[in-house]
Amino acid sequence: MAVVEVEGLRKRYGGTVAVDDVSFTVEHGEIFGIVGPNGAGKTTLVECVEGVRRPDAGRISVLGLDPLRDRARLRQVMGAQLQGGGLPDKLRVGEAVSLYRSFYADGADPGRLLDELGLAGKRDTAFEDLSGGQAQRLSIALALVGRPRVAVLDELTTGLDPRARRGTWELIERIRDTGVTVLLVTHFMPEAERLCDRVAVIDRGRIAALDTPGGLVARAGTGLERATLEDAFLALTGRAPEEEAG
Amino acid sequence: MTAYRPPARAWAMLTWTEAKLVARDTAGLVIPLGLPMLIMVMSGLGAEGAGTERFRGLPALDAFVVPMTMVMVVALIGLVNMPAVLATYRRTGVLRRLAVTPAHPLMVLAAQVLASLAQVLAGVLAALLAARLLFGASMPRGALTAVGVFCLVTATMYALGMLVAAVAPSANAAVALGLVGFFLTMALGGGFGPRDNLPDPLATLGEYLPYGAGVEALSAAWTGVPPDLAHIGALAGTAALAGAVAAKAFRWD
Repeated sequence: MAVVEVEGLRKRYGGTVAVDDVSFTVEHGEIFGIVGPNGAGKTTLVECVEGVRRPDAGRISVLGLDPLRDRARLRQVMGAQLQGGGLPDKLRVGEAVSLYRSFYADGADPGRLLDELGLAGKRDTAFEDLSGGQAQRLSIALALVGRPRVAVLDELTTGLDPRARRGTWELIERIRDTGVTVLLVTHFMPEAERLCDRVAVIDRGRIAALDTPGGLVARAGTGLERATLEDAFLALTGRAPEEEAG
Repeated sequence: MTAYRPPARAWAMLTWTEAKLVARDTAGLVIPLGLPMLIMVMSGLGAEGAGTERFRGLPALDAFVVPMTMVMVVALIGLVNMPAVLATYRRTGVLRRLAVTPAHPLMVLAAQVLASLAQVLAGVLAALLAARLLFGASMPRGALTAVGVFCLVTATMYALGMLVAAVAPSANAAVALGLVGFFLTMALGGGFGPRDNLPDPLATLGEYLPYGAGVEALSAAWTGVPPDLAHIGALAGTAALAGAVAAKAFRWD
């Protein structure tokens, strides 16, 4: 069953085309990766899926809902962790999770969620006193507290140290195991390779390739003996993931 | 699946959360309550306490200093504190994060207004109590008028504050804009000594800017005469204009 369907999506800002005729579907229980260099249009694409940006053309359906028309209903079943989403400095971890829980008709138990995310000991810590990894985990907790059926996670592990990153990956896998469909935006190839069932490579607003990580590596024909998704990415886009799109 | 709106519980939680955050912001809590009180007490200690003809038998402390203190409390909170919080929320992505939940960012704006209004109320009650206990100041002769005028002054200061929040790109900019607006209208409105000392055009301008108009109208309520309609009109006009521009210019992102 397709949970997210995107068809012919286009979005431009003035003269710049951010998303150009993008189509894909995400199946139930899948971790679907959207990878690409900075500025490739990844964030614009998911912002359209989240219903915070209006596409110029195309059709989007999330669990049968139109992100713009059925905004209120979509908010109840979709959790989003976005780039640059902050909290008040003096808000405490436990307060944040309870507050966000109150927005939803149905949701997770705040205490249990904090336990699962390793934040139980931080309940009374203010947001401003959290480390980068703790703040990121809190951000994930807030995306999940409404017990969403779809989670959109944008640049999940940016700024995390390797240990925190691995912990976060395990968490995402556990979330998927509970039946949540995950849309994961990243420019960090090892993350996509480890987590994603399928990956869409976005370059200059278009899908350059869409396949399983293994399929992408095979298809890219890097000629390398032990090619990684990063090698495949370079072969497919001709650029490093960290490079700005022209 | 039916359309679902955030329950009353979400509104209550948001407002309570904002109230806790207001209380945790030490400087933001103490300055708008303490500074006007301090100025009032210092003026009160030096005042004669005798009734004056200008205020229909009331001492200047009752009919001028106390109203000015009340206006100062609401101006500091409405023009400086509240916009700084909202500008921070936009700058740091608090509004962005809310936009992808069932809670509209408008809810946090309303919650912040309610929480800061509670602070205004606390500040005004504390000032009135201190004036009464320390200096035996009288309460307004036109109590209902005073309440009505104060609500109008509050609406005007908050509308101007929303305008500051709408155009300020950061908390710093909001505080700077708010403080300039505050001191300018306070200086022209008689906050640093009688308006009569100012050059005529400035004194007239100050009389109809929110601070001066607010003090004049409240002062009238204290002495028991109906406020000058020109002052009321100036307040209401400013509130409507600032509110409309703020609503149009406000950016959530």
